Amino acid sequence: MPEDLLFQSEIKEVVRDAYAHIDAGAGRPAAQRLYSEDELAALPSGAVDWALGVGNPVRHAELKPGEIVLDVGCGAGLDSLLAARAVGSSGHVTGLDLLEEMCERGRTHAREAGVDAWTKFVQGEMEDIPLPDASVDVVISNGVINLSPRKSRVLAEIRRVLRPDGRLAVADLTVNDELPSELQTNDAAWAG
Amino acid sequence: MSGALAERAFAAKIEKMGFTDVWIGERIPYGVEQAALYPLFTPDLIELMRRLIPPDRLATVAMSVIATARKPTSE
Repeated sequence: MPEDLLFQSEIKEVVRDAYAHIDAGAGRPAAQRLYSEDELAALPSGAVDWALGVGNPVRHAELKPGEIVLDVGCGAGLDSLLAARAVGSSGHVTGLDLLEEMCERGRTHAREAGVDAWTKFVQGEMEDIPLPDASVDVVISNGVINLSPRKSRVLAEIRRVLRPDGRLAVADLTVNDELPSELQTNDAAWAG
Repeated sequence: MSGALAERAFAAKIEKMGFTDVWIGERIPYGVEQAALYPLFTPDLIELMRRLIPPDRLATVAMSVIATARKPTSE
């Protein structure tokens, strides 16, 4: 095995374990880099405290009332809640996360935001999205595709669940200069 | 972060998976200081980054981007 690679199963376990053991998100200082004060003011403080994203995909998703949205790797639900506000009660938002603990936080935040009637949180893997073909108008995602060792599979799954002419709006980290090999083989650097 | 693709590779992968109208924008630099806000970046990892990454790259270790794309109307 080349020194800059870990096995897919190892990466998956490292990521799951790292996210399962955090007890807070990046918090308001990180969220304020990405979201407007108006957007943050409309959210429960817990959702803001649990911010773990790296961009603002909802801002670019051009969501319309009534649309069906899937938030891949939703975490504690910040972007799902913004999407729910944008599509309104005639629409629907599904937040998908690997961890049931994150889904539970999302449900709590959705109730606090008053959007729980049209927002649900489902535990599952982004490489095997538990939704039917062509059932979603828009997929959003924030900072999670880089965590998958099977990115093509994730994108294929997103394409499968999108209806024809459906849209994708993703925020993610990119690294244009190769990281030192010692970082590439560091477990925490895969989850971070 | 270790699983992140280069921006060009990320866009190419989205296109390769059959999406159209691929657009990449809204780049936000992520340096070690920003990474340290996230609990997934442990103190040990932050210290390792400071030690291994050249000083002139510490402020831009990674770049957050927005990618938008569309599924074709017909297969």
